[in-house]
Amino acid sequence: MAKISVYRFLSAGCNACDVEILECLVPRYGLANLGVEVVEEPEKANVLILTGAGTIKGEKALLEVYEKINPPKIVVAVGNCSITKNIFDKGYPIIGPPNKLIPVNYYIPGCPPRPQAIIKAIADILGVKIEEKEEFWKTPEGFRGRHEIDGEKCIGCGACAQICTADAIEVIDGPEKRIIRVNYGHCTFCAFCQDECPTQAIRLTGVYHLLTSDPRAARVENEVNLLSCTICGGTFFPEKQIEWALKRVVEEKVPIYKDYHDNIYNSMRICPNCRRKIENIKRAKILLTNLSERARRP
Amino acid sequence: MPEKVYIGPYRPQLVEPERFELLVEGDKIIDAKMELGYMHRGIEKLFTTRTYMQNLALAERICGICSGIHTLCYAQTVERLMGVEVPERAKYLRCIYMELERLHSHYLWFGILAHSLHEHEAFAKIMGEREIIQDLFEYLTGNRINYAINTIGGVRRDITPEKAEKIRGVLRTLKPLSDYIMSLLDDNGVFTKKTKGVGVLPRDKAIEVGAVGPTLRGSGVASDIRKDDPYAAYDKLDFEVIVEKDGDVHAKALVRARETYESMKIIEQALDNLPPGDISVKPGEPKVGEEVGRVEAPRGELIYYIRSNGTNIPERVKVRTPSYANNFAILEMLKGERLGNARTVIESIDPCFACTDRVTVVDVRTGKRRIIALR
Ligand code: SF4
Ligand code: SF4
Repeated sequence: MAKISVYRFLSAGCNACDVEILECLVPRYGLANLGVEVVEEPEKANVLILTGAGTIKGEKALLEVYEKINPPKIVVAVGNCSITKNIFDKGYPIIGPPNKLIPVNYYIPGCPPRPQAIIKAIADILGVKIEEKEEFWKTPEGFRGRHEIDGEKCIGCGACAQICTADAIEVIDGPEKRIIRVNYGHCTFCAFCQDECPTQAIRLTGVYHLLTSDPRAARVENEVNLLSCTICGGTFFPEKQIEWALKRVVEEKVPIYKDYHDNIYNSMRICPNCRRKIENIKRAKILLTNLSERARRP
Repeated sequence: MPEKVYIGPYRPQLVEPERFELLVEGDKIIDAKMELGYMHRGIEKLFTTRTYMQNLALAERICGICSGIHTLCYAQTVERLMGVEVPERAKYLRCIYMELERLHSHYLWFGILAHSLHEHEAFAKIMGEREIIQDLFEYLTGNRINYAINTIGGVRRDITPEKAEKIRGVLRTLKPLSDYIMSLLDDNGVFTKKTKGVGVLPRDKAIEVGAVGPTLRGSGVASDIRKDDPYAAYDKLDFEVIVEKDGDVHAKALVRARETYESMKIIEQALDNLPPGDISVKPGEPKVGEEVGRVEAPRGELIYYIRSNGTNIPERVKVRTPSYANNFAILEMLKGERLGNARTVIESIDPCFACTDRVTVVDVRTGKRRIIALR
């Protein structure tokens, strides 16, 4: 087996990734069994492992180190900082991600990736197989790995994007559809999105082997239909979110409004722009009067 | 003729890259300077661009080793700003999680010490057996490091009786590891020979430079925030503040080794007396004003200062980490030390592969460089 000598370069992460790389050296993970050694000088290495988002102060050193790495000069970015800058994205000394400075061949997403993810990724890169029992790879219940969005349940409200600690979730509105996109390469795996989701649609799973050669591929998405305004026809709001909100109103919050279900639904299907027009305000007022009257009746 | 010796910044290190400039005469270090900032990420600025909740994940990533304690210190300070009283159960749970963190952090420190002393067998054993805590964290919180367990108003995951049993089991397997480490530090221990009398930080110097944590306690000062300014449930738990008076690397090691037993004691008590009830309450609105919070991180006193303008985004967050305070102690400890011990001294403060086996020596007179082995 080809001998792989790895040099580690850390530039502005939280160090956890680096600790996990080191952890791979203990017999349990057996990085050495793959023919991999960690060296302390770039001149002796042929693989460069990066962690951290890359700072202005470390730029020169990174370029120098890269120059010194021997062929085949494979560069692996470990952890989300080194893939997308992660939570340090907008830090003023951060100039990465490292692939802006040097060519990067592979990316191992995670925050930090568990040692099993790192050694499996390295084995995959080397094209070898690791003989380990299922027990070795297993994650405990409640493990916070890659997300999964249940397309049935997701109403496209974007609450996950709003709470997200790392700006990992994008809400992209097209002409007819809204995309909820989780860039798990830009994620801290805090699971706040999971806690915040009103319909338990988004969930962090036990999936953690996330090696990729294209950082943009590190994402999970869901599409929801946008509702078109019954007056102007423009799209403005996820259909499912309106249905969900209405259901909550008439079934949980104020069941006495049930009789007005259709009226409320119709008024909700008018976009904010049209709602502000005089003739429509009148219509809304009538509905509101009816509702408050209904509320007064026993 | 004195020579200048540079260590770092970019050597395969475990923690931050730092750069040390040593003035050396023969084999003796006569002066030391340090340059930091290689890990600067602008975190304090970033804190003021996100909500109080979102900042939890940021605080966690200041340090990937004692990540949990950062979130706790941050959360406790915010809780004060919001006037939130955390449920009793959450306070006990916080102690359990944080002492588990102290355990893995202290064991990691010993692993690094073994590495820097070229005790490969000890390194492999300590790092290998320490894994069981990482597994436990993954089982309890969903991640080995960066456990995202603290939140504003409490903790995010409970410890069921089944989980408590598992924790007790882990403590039982860890005791022999602590015993093993103690044996490395006794009179004939391999650590003792290489650390006794090395990098002495006298008591008055330790106080003068503002050292904290095991570095300070190893110089004979009984200072521990868990006792001096109790938070979470520490005022209800019985434990001893470990002090050693010699001030050398050996004393600092002994402090940490003995503290592992205290941490186990705290966890066992907290499990035995875990009060029933909720594990968190809803956070409130922050008042306009400022608060300071402090905790005893594995490396010493950690301080958060937060100023609020009443919005959901803090106006200013200032963090004083223990390693920052202790860095000045390194400089004191290096002075008068043999060059060959520099690495051990530096690593006695922080788990840090800051330098490797070679450093560059510059002859001050001729400017010629040569590479020497540190040991
Ligand atoms: S990816 Fe996450 S764990 Fe890794 S260095 Fe960055 S913040 Fe730390
Ligand atoms: S787990 Fe969810 S909330 Fe947390 S960073 Fe990732 S996408 Fe954002």
